[in-house]
Amino acid sequence: MKLLSLPERLGLISYRNQAKSDIKPHILVNTDICNSTCPHKCTTYVCPANCYTKDENGKVHFQVEDCIECGTCMYACDQGAVSWEFPDPEIGRGVTWNYG
Amino acid sequence: MDEKFDCIIVGAGVAGLGAAMTLARNNMKFLLIEKGEFPGAKNVSGGVLWGNDLAKLVPNYWEEDGGWDRFINHRRLTFMDEQSTFSVDFKSSHFNEPPYTGVVVLRSKFDRWLADKVQEAIDASDYAMDSFIAPNILVEEILLEDDKAVGIKAGGDEFYSDSVILAEGVNNLLTRQVGLQDKYVPADHMLTGVKEIIRYDQKVLEDRFQLNGKSGMSNEFVGYATNGVEGGGFLYTNKDTISIGLVLGLKDLREKEQKPHDILNEFKKHPVIADTIRGGEVVEYSAHIVSSGDKRVMPKQLYKAGLVVCGEAANLLLNAGKAIQGMDYAMRSGILAAETITEAKKAGDFGESAMKKYQDTLENSYIMKDINNFQDAVHLLHDPVMTQKMPNLICDFGRNFFSIKNEPTPKSREMLKGAIKRHASYWELIKLGAKGAKAL
Repeated sequence: MKLLSLPERLGLISYRNQAKSDIKPHILVNTDICNSTCPHKCTTYVCPANCYTKDENGKVHFQVEDCIECGTCMYACDQGAVSWEFPDPEIGRGVTWNYG
Repeated sequence: MDEKFDCIIVGAGVAGLGAAMTLARNNMKFLLIEKGEFPGAKNVSGGVLWGNDLAKLVPNYWEEDGGWDRFINHRRLTFMDEQSTFSVDFKSSHFNEPPYTGVVVLRSKFDRWLADKVQEAIDASDYAMDSFIAPNILVEEILLEDDKAVGIKAGGDEFYSDSVILAEGVNNLLTRQVGLQDKYVPADHMLTGVKEIIRYDQKVLEDRFQLNGKSGMSNEFVGYATNGVEGGGFLYTNKDTISIGLVLGLKDLREKEQKPHDILNEFKKHPVIADTIRGGEVVEYSAHIVSSGDKRVMPKQLYKAGLVVCGEAANLLLNAGKAIQGMDYAMRSGILAAETITEAKKAGDFGESAMKKYQDTLENSYIMKDINNFQDAVHLLHDPVMTQKMPNLICDFGRNFFSIKNEPTPKSREMLKGAIKRHASYWELIKLGAKGAKAL
């Protein structure tokens, strides 16, 4: 069977508050740490939703929109750059699983 | 709400619902809070609910066509190299009669169904109008007075109770807030699970996996499935879908610089898996952290004055090689937590020593007995000899053993020797054997 790319997979997910343009991010990332002292920048590959990306200069960027609340980055980041909360049901992002 | 509750339960997953059902039946006044849109909305599991505690909560649940997907009567453990699989396969009609010893569930459906059953129990209790299941609310903080839990804060409001049951799941922020878990939990004994739900025509699914009626199969994988990262794979049959996925050691994933979603695609591309799953349609992709069942990272103390921690918030999980047990631990620990709270209410004492009884009963239950007894098995399953070299060796032997070549066939012992030489050393196997004998 055809294998799905990550964007195709994320396209299957029901995110909350999709209609709202201005959501409150539930994860804050101090990318200054990622881009100065972090030896591995591991969130750019361990995150199952690819919320952390590296640009052409190797700089780490974070977006919360695709986050599926798995928690991986909270444990994987051992540099203290990730502060992780659950999304606010009203004004946050996050998921509602159809199967789970 | 002016009056305080006997108990506030944080999280309406399997643990929280098990606790709520028990409290409702014991005529307790409680509030069950869930951050998702409905119970199960934010839960991800493999997943098989092992054992038979479900029948304690919902007697004769098997007579209903709701909640659970299939009962397990077919188990398979598969060793995998790049081209081959070698399985230990066990199927028995012994498992066909209820009460079943394992049911496959999809949490978004199962938890919601179980919550409806809890609501029925609330309606039948003395507190039909005073106990609530409240979804869509995020608990921000546990309120503490003199280090005793006295309630919760959510959406800027405060709700008070004699006791709190924390059933918030593995990402246990509140357990950390009250000081029962370190603020930062390292990746060392955590795994990332990734999974797809693939849908089929139900008849195709039943024919392909030799299912009959509501019977189902569970299959675990070790070896090539995880592309050199410690962990394993799983495949479970649901009603008209399969759950297929991997659990990957997070520290190893970080060190080997691998992407979990890429490894999942590699797993699906494996020739044997590709044959097995062909023709389906992916309908959901999900991921979640899961704890490893290694005691070294579990919160040492699961209680404080006015509060107990259960389910995966307490890291109650075990994979000792024959099954991944987490939801049954969640359910039982939730029930035990609620029993402790009920006794505390009777005695009018929610102090630390009263709450300690929960951990004492947990220690004497099958949960902690198994977790304590099978720690060596947990370590063994994370040993690279076991997760990489053994599957390669076994598949190499299988390939030789099952090859018929119209030439003189060596004795199996010679084949095994060759396979061992190519993939490991005798010394490694002796060490592994010694570990295995101790572990099991």
